Amino acid sequence: MGRMAFLKMSADKQDTLLKMLVLAVCCILSFSVRLFSVLRFESVIHEFDPYFNYRTTRYLAEKGFYDFHNWFDDTAWYPLGRIIGGTIYPGLMVTAAAFYNVLHYFNITIDIRNMCVFLAPMFSSFTTIVTYHLTKQLSNSGAGLVAAAFMSVVPGYISRSVAGSYDNEGIAIFCMLFTYTLWIKSVKTGSVFWAVLCSVAYFYMVSSWGGYVFLINLIPIHVLACIVTGRYSHKIYVAYTTVYSVGTILSMQISFVGFQPVQTSEHMGALGVFGLCQIVSFINFLCARLSSAHFAILWQTMLYIVGTIFIGAVGFLTLSGKIAPWTGRFYSLLDPSYAKNNIPIIASVSEHQPTTWSSFYFDLQMLVFMFPVGLYVCFKNLKDYNLFIILYGVTSMYFAAVMVRLMLVLAPVMCILAGIGVNHVLTTYMKNLDSVAQKDKKGRTKSDNSYPMRNEVATGVVVMMTIFLSLFASHSVWVTSEAYSSPSIVLSARGGDGGRIIFDDFREAYYWLRHNTPENSKVMSWWDYGYQITAMANRTILVDNNTWNNTHISRVGQAMASTEDKAYEIMRELDVDYVLVIFGGLTGYSSDDINKFLWMVRIGGSTDRGAHIKESDYYTPSGEFRVDSEGSQVLQNCMMYKMCYYRFGQVYTEQNKPTGYDRVRNAEIGNKDFELDVLDEAYTTEHWIVRIYKVKDLDNRGNPRT
Amino acid sequence: MNAIKGSLILFIIGLFCHTASPKTKQEVLQEKVHQLMEWSNRRTVIQMGGSKFANYVKSKPRNYSVIVMFTALNPKRGCSVCQEASDEFTILANSYRFSPAYSNSLFFGVVDFDDGQDIFRTLGLNSAPAFIHFPAKGKRKAVDTYDIQRYGFHADNIAKWMAERTEIVVRIFRPPNYMGTVVLVLLFSLAGGLLYVRRNSLDFFYNKTFWGVLSIFIVLGMTSGQMWNHIRGPPYYHRNPQNGAIHYIHGSSQGQLVAETHLVMLINAAIVVGFALLSEVHNPEMEVSKRRVFAIGGLVMVVFFFSLLISVFRRKYQSYPYSLLIR
Repeated sequence: MGRMAFLKMSADKQDTLLKMLVLAVCCILSFSVRLFSVLRFESVIHEFDPYFNYRTTRYLAEKGFYDFHNWFDDTAWYPLGRIIGGTIYPGLMVTAAAFYNVLHYFNITIDIRNMCVFLAPMFSSFTTIVTYHLTKQLSNSGAGLVAAAFMSVVPGYISRSVAGSYDNEGIAIFCMLFTYTLWIKSVKTGSVFWAVLCSVAYFYMVSSWGGYVFLINLIPIHVLACIVTGRYSHKIYVAYTTVYSVGTILSMQISFVGFQPVQTSEHMGALGVFGLCQIVSFINFLCARLSSAHFAILWQTMLYIVGTIFIGAVGFLTLSGKIAPWTGRFYSLLDPSYAKNNIPIIASVSEHQPTTWSSFYFDLQMLVFMFPVGLYVCFKNLKDYNLFIILYGVTSMYFAAVMVRLMLVLAPVMCILAGIGVNHVLTTYMKNLDSVAQKDKKGRTKSDNSYPMRNEVATGVVVMMTIFLSLFASHSVWVTSEAYSSPSIVLSARGGDGGRIIFDDFREAYYWLRHNTPENSKVMSWWDYGYQITAMANRTILVDNNTWNNTHISRVGQAMASTEDKAYEIMRELDVDYVLVIFGGLTGYSSDDINKFLWMVRIGGSTDRGAHIKESDYYTPSGEFRVDSEGSQVLQNCMMYKMCYYRFGQVYTEQNKPTGYDRVRNAEIGNKDFELDVLDEAYTTEHWIVRIYKVKDLDNRGNPRT
Repeated sequence: MNAIKGSLILFIIGLFCHTASPKTKQEVLQEKVHQLMEWSNRRTVIQMGGSKFANYVKSKPRNYSVIVMFTALNPKRGCSVCQEASDEFTILANSYRFSPAYSNSLFFGVVDFDDGQDIFRTLGLNSAPAFIHFPAKGKRKAVDTYDIQRYGFHADNIAKWMAERTEIVVRIFRPPNYMGTVVLVLLFSLAGGLLYVRRNSLDFFYNKTFWGVLSIFIVLGMTSGQMWNHIRGPPYYHRNPQNGAIHYIHGSSQGQLVAETHLVMLINAAIVVGFALLSEVHNPEMEVSKRRVFAIGGLVMVVFFFSLLISVFRRKYQSYPYSLLIR
């Protein structure tokens, strides 16, 4: 019966129904492929920054927007505090809270945590739909469907939007593509309506991610390219002037952005193109009204006057020291190796690494070569709006190659252009499949377009594309499951019998803090764990992942790197009640505090008050960092070493190894029998990953503790 | 004339007398400083082998301090930062040489690993480059070794350290780098000239094919990791020191060799060409006889090179489960 109904529909309706079906499948797929971590572990927020976002969202949902906007958080950066409302992009929190409130209005009582966990997968479904529309604008709906299918599983985007990774990027890619769609729409129609919608979408983008700067530079570049190639028209003028003026005013409403759009250099390109648009339009106007002789005179005079003023202004500003265009620094912006040579801290962060070809392949697989095919197709049929996607592709390509985290910006355009490419190949060869039938009907009319073995070749191409596409899907799912689905708050390892062992020590420790310590106690830990402690343990912390105050972090580093008596002074000064360290020696968890310790030493020693801390003291004479008995004495007596290895000397960790064998450093620790003078061990989790110590009070008689 | 001869003979005799008698500390010192000054005037950074280092840096008496860079500049040592560090060090030395603070109380030296392996051993150095200050008085302390991990080898930072250790303050004078400006001006004038010469037919500027090929080339370059090569500067291939086997593909997905990126770029380009052939088949201007060749050729190219790409990737990522045609 259903089959009959389908056949009865007109071709148009069937077409629409099929498209909607494909899109719906894409949406469901993009949602469900991101759920690996939820199924394997449970519905938890991942990593570090998402915990801050989760905490602020909870605050927003409970207290309302005005309290959120005026929120001064006194539990972070003790005793300084942090103004939260003015130092974040609120788009993510507002979105989640809005969904939460709407659902509650309809009496769907979802937990705010689940809202946060599932927001990124939900938005990736929306992204799939937007990708379809954007590609449809640029090419046709077939390409749109392919691009949407690519977008739903592309690993480069999944890496930032799995369930639980509740971060700005999760919704920002949706906002970005939405803005692009409306921009293309407004360029095509030249209507103020679409342009205003585009600037509203831009406002949403600005409110959710700092990466909006890419967008506000890409759109002017598109306009500029149109002017240069003679494709400038009234439509573009209307679209751009509206988007720029409305969008800028709207973006300045975000308090974290403030006056940046009219002051900082990265926004000046957009302003310049805005001015250029007015000039070009004015020239076109004059050109239409004046005779050509008069126009030539006016043109030359204007050129000389403007040229003189420009050179004068540049000269004056250079001489007065306002701008310095001729120094090496100016060019270094264009040279990506500058940062490597001169700023070691940038080179050390893994997200700032350049991208190897294997990570391009890992994150994009067949898109790597379908992308140029799509470019080829776009160039064969060049339009105003195609120009946009070409520019987007090439510029984001450059940025993704310089910095691996910007793969996120590249992935959508890869999907779009690859979709256009795949669609082009498939449509041309799909037609040939039934060429025999066509010939019967139309006789010899089509024969000049044919060649021997045409049908076989067409079959071959279609089969090949099918294999490629299914390979892409399997690859993406494999990558997602292998690389991008660990929450890093709950750890898992393979046991000796092949089963999965779960380490849930982080949450165990944070909940212990929450239930067993006084509410106003201050916890000292390295900054990585700050967001998690405030969100889960609800206790005051000294430093967190918003690393804005280097001296404060340095002070904590000094406490960790000093001997007990020195550290006690610092901890009394900072009013610390508990100290929390992460230790992986028992389980083999390698990103623990001992492995991060050198950074604490470096940062601790980088300020005046930490001048006595020298990195070389923590190495052996031959320059090695060792925890065993050959390691440096300074290291073996510092606070961090003692806190991590307290009582560890009595524990057997591996067969055939002595007590106190550290499974991360693969060494028997050097300092086994010691007591802590200024600290009491308060709590150690099941697998010893988190250890919490209580700072002893001053002695009643005022004797020193050590 | 005679007088001169006589004085020369006298001088030589005097010289012999000097060497014959045991030299006083003062004289040895004077000689050493004189010799160092001479070398230093010829080349600010003095090349030091084992004996020079032992005589002029290690042994007492000294009333001057020496800053020595320990490095390995020989290309076969594969120390890519050594050259950059050496350039910075030379800038510092030259800035000192032409500054008002220039005197005979501080000298700059360099010891290459290939000239003085035993020096490296006695000082317990196991990485290069390293900068060590040998003070005029007193023992060498830990801070006399420049912490390169922490401060990097920028000349300004070394100068700051030097000022701390020797109390000689030098303002770094860099030969101004007008390279960028010159290249930019050249580029602009070239483009402007080209536009001016061909002002009547600006077609090439609007030529789609030119821009298309350019952008596809950029994309192929970037996806094959040329930017990584530019920033990290890996070797072209890797020779195993034990058995001399040459590897063109880096064994892990964290790194890559230049040869391998070129290979990947070629593979990607071949696949794109394959697809372009497939798409050109339906160009109505093409001869019928060529079509079959183009279609089958394109198909074979695409399938073969994609299989090759996967197999190259499997070499880097051993647990990768997928393959096509080639294992």
